[in-house]
Amino acid sequence: MSDVTIAERPAAGPDDILDSIVQAEGYKYGFFTEIEAEEAPPGLNEDIVRFISAKKGEPAWLLEWRLRAFRRWQTMDPPDWAKLNIAPIDYQAASYYSAPKSLKDAPKSLDEVDPELLKTYEKLGIPLGERAALAGVAVDAVFDSVSVATTYKDKLGELGIIFCSFGEAVREHPDLVRRYLGSVVPVADNFFAALNSAVFSDGSFVYVPPGVRCPMELSTYFRINAAKTGQFERTLLIADKGAYVSYLEGCTAPQRDENQLHAAVVELIALEDAEIKYATVQNWYPGDAEGRGGIYNFVTKRGACRGHRAKISWAQVETGSAITWKYPSCLLEGDHSVGAFYSVAITNNRQQADTGTKMIHIGRNTSSTVISKGISAGRGQNTYRGQVKVLSAADGARNYTQCDSLLIGKSCGAHTVPYIDVRHPGAKVEHEATTSKISDEQMFYCQQRGLTAEDALSLIVNGFCKEVLNELPMEFAVEAQKLLAVSLEGSVG
Amino acid sequence: MLITDDSAPFQEAYRQLLAGTDQPDWLRSQRQAGMERFTDLGFPTRRQEAWRFTDLEQLTAQPRLPSLDGAPPLPADLLEPWRLAGKTHRLVLVNGRFDPALSAIGTLPDGVWLAPLAETVLRRPDVAAMAFGADGNAFAFLNAALFTDGAVLVLAPGTVLELPVEVIHYSAGDTQVSAHPRLRVMLGDGARATLVETAAGDGNGWTNAVIDVTLGADAALTHVHVQGEGADAAHTSLLTAELGRRARYRTFAFITGASLSRRDMQVTLSGPGAVFTLHGAYLLDGGQEATLAVRADHKVCDCRTEEVVKGVLQGAAHGVFLGTVAVRPGADGTDARQLNRNLLLSPSARVDTKPELEIFADDVKCSHGATVGSLDEAALFYLQARGIDPVTARSMLVAAFAAEVIDAAGLEGEVEVLLRRHLARWLGGEGGLG
Repeated sequence: MSDVTIAERPAAGPDDILDSIVQAEGYKYGFFTEIEAEEAPPGLNEDIVRFISAKKGEPAWLLEWRLRAFRRWQTMDPPDWAKLNIAPIDYQAASYYSAPKSLKDAPKSLDEVDPELLKTYEKLGIPLGERAALAGVAVDAVFDSVSVATTYKDKLGELGIIFCSFGEAVREHPDLVRRYLGSVVPVADNFFAALNSAVFSDGSFVYVPPGVRCPMELSTYFRINAAKTGQFERTLLIADKGAYVSYLEGCTAPQRDENQLHAAVVELIALEDAEIKYATVQNWYPGDAEGRGGIYNFVTKRGACRGHRAKISWAQVETGSAITWKYPSCLLEGDHSVGAFYSVAITNNRQQADTGTKMIHIGRNTSSTVISKGISAGRGQNTYRGQVKVLSAADGARNYTQCDSLLIGKSCGAHTVPYIDVRHPGAKVEHEATTSKISDEQMFYCQQRGLTAEDALSLIVNGFCKEVLNELPMEFAVEAQKLLAVSLEGSVG
Repeated sequence: MLITDDSAPFQEAYRQLLAGTDQPDWLRSQRQAGMERFTDLGFPTRRQEAWRFTDLEQLTAQPRLPSLDGAPPLPADLLEPWRLAGKTHRLVLVNGRFDPALSAIGTLPDGVWLAPLAETVLRRPDVAAMAFGADGNAFAFLNAALFTDGAVLVLAPGTVLELPVEVIHYSAGDTQVSAHPRLRVMLGDGARATLVETAAGDGNGWTNAVIDVTLGADAALTHVHVQGEGADAAHTSLLTAELGRRARYRTFAFITGASLSRRDMQVTLSGPGAVFTLHGAYLLDGGQEATLAVRADHKVCDCRTEEVVKGVLQGAAHGVFLGTVAVRPGADGTDARQLNRNLLLSPSARVDTKPELEIFADDVKCSHGATVGSLDEAALFYLQARGIDPVTARSMLVAAFAAEVIDAAGLEGEVEVLLRRHLARWLGGEGGLG
């Protein structure tokens, strides 16, 4: 089938496809100039998928891959099992391709930045000028300090580490991309992953060669901020035998984006003896106090411990987005492989989060740890949803899960939905969960010692989350603590 | 279309069952409503979240229809293992029909009604009508359409029933038929009773029971459920309970029988200060599958739920525990605990556990825990080091694991003796620890 489709359009370049779209749309969107042609018209069909692929100059196999995903996506329904209240999304109303905006649009100086945003930066303790140079952080493109990025890139290059945009990886390292893309999250894994696979814009690619320990934390948030490719992001990270890498995604600073729907896919592959640490701080725009606006964050993240003794650890601080639907998972395939998930999720005002993890024990003597801290305030709804599955060959599997919920206020909700599915007698699986509120005694004690109600709350919440914050890289951890306080502003007193 | 296929044989059975019988109008319309709801819903499928772990293939592949004739008379000693020792009020149903020979209701104190449902329909239709609620699942609707008999226990306010009530449903014979017993329990304010509800049998039938419990203010009910159906039998039951102010509902579920079984418990705590406790054990072997699905719905403040359920899985058995504690807005002061512990004793045994919390109030204390594991190697070694052979050591540990939940339940008298006897029988018999 797919071969036939290709044959029908043997030389379809971007312009041909564009022409056909323009004609079909009756010039409604006026494709007259070069610049306006950088945007695809709203709607999603095979031609749009071809257009995106052609615009990015992708090889035929990748277009085929996208089309396969698109065809599967058309047959799928959005998941409805999460405890989320999602207004119907019109997938035909969105535009699925816009070329990166030029640097001309970026603010030239701090004066051009929204003062509310600056205030928040101040509270978080990250002066704007210093953010660009967070110590030890390499970024693959920074709009105002290109030289810094180049320096780090050279250093990584000497070690054979590839760290580039996804598009660049497709051009420069097609074999690696082709081998691993979709090998952890198949094209039709779920509705949002299929959508991402069909129309993904760009993302990051990391390859760490055998035996190499990446000397610095890798980070991407600058690029996402500048180029706004974050809507359908695709990340592929491979740690070859014995390699180590720590990766940071996101930023504590609030990120504004006009795209309401975000459906990213992250795939991690750890081969024998490799270790991957993946940390996320997510603070997308949550909407206003009444729940208007705000980002829908529907993310598929999964890591595969392919080799023996491989390790994958997810750490996340989720404070933003109107709706979060996210389950970073580990496939523990290799013997003695280790998976971990550390999460803090905060919902305030009318935010909703349904997040958790899946730990699939496949190999022998695999172990996993899940620590989840959910905090609900205002009218926020927070759900932990996790699965621990021990397959019948997973001799000696071990899991420990702890999920605690903290309630602040009368109108919020905290829910815990763990699935435990064990098919091996040698497994040892433990799950614990508690739900409680901050006691008046705790607040009184702190306030009696001179803390304001907000400082007291921040102190208590930080203590509640400590086990997770400890897992974040140092510079993230400090900011994350402040972020918790900022996120809960207005929920007491 | 699938739905039509599922329900068609049951619709036919429904017509045959009612043909030529004299049913009061209200009952006929209840049955009709049940049949319609079942036809609408069809059998649940694994695509439904609440049924994703339950394999109903056995039930749907070949429909087990209600039998139109009564069962042959059974020897009295057949029930011996299932009966409480000492004096009781005993009501026995065989294949869904009241068996006067095996029953011994005895003399009831004033203010107590205990009678078969069919008899209650004739003598006290007003009471019988209360045995039909509007809600339920597909199986409960099918029961409403096809029930042949059941039992009704009503206590007037302030009445204390000293002797335990036994309601035994027995499925007899190699019949592939289904029975749909219906049990209604209502305790007025301050009333107290003990009920042992047993589903047992030696056949390959399907028991599809519905149990409705209502407890008034300060009422207290101890309700022990024993499910020891035949090895090829199927068992489904839906229990709903509504608890008034400071009512105490203490339950125990002991599940060892049937190749496919599922018990749904939906307990609503609708009066402040109500207390619901569930202790339970599913002990399974061979290809058995058992599901215990419990939902405790805290609608008002200051209620308490405590659940401790243990599972022992041998052979290729599959145990499922689905527990939900829901706390509605305003149900402050809720204290809820859930614990599910499982022992996997063989490579092909399997456990699915899903202890769920759904909380919409902030002044609450809720916790749940679940564990799955095998026997502690250190404990086994310890016993063997003291000269106990491995087989005995193993069975001692399994016995201790299961007995713990009976200890924790704090039941008294013959009821506790009965549970310990059932446990010992399982450990020594079909449990096959040897």
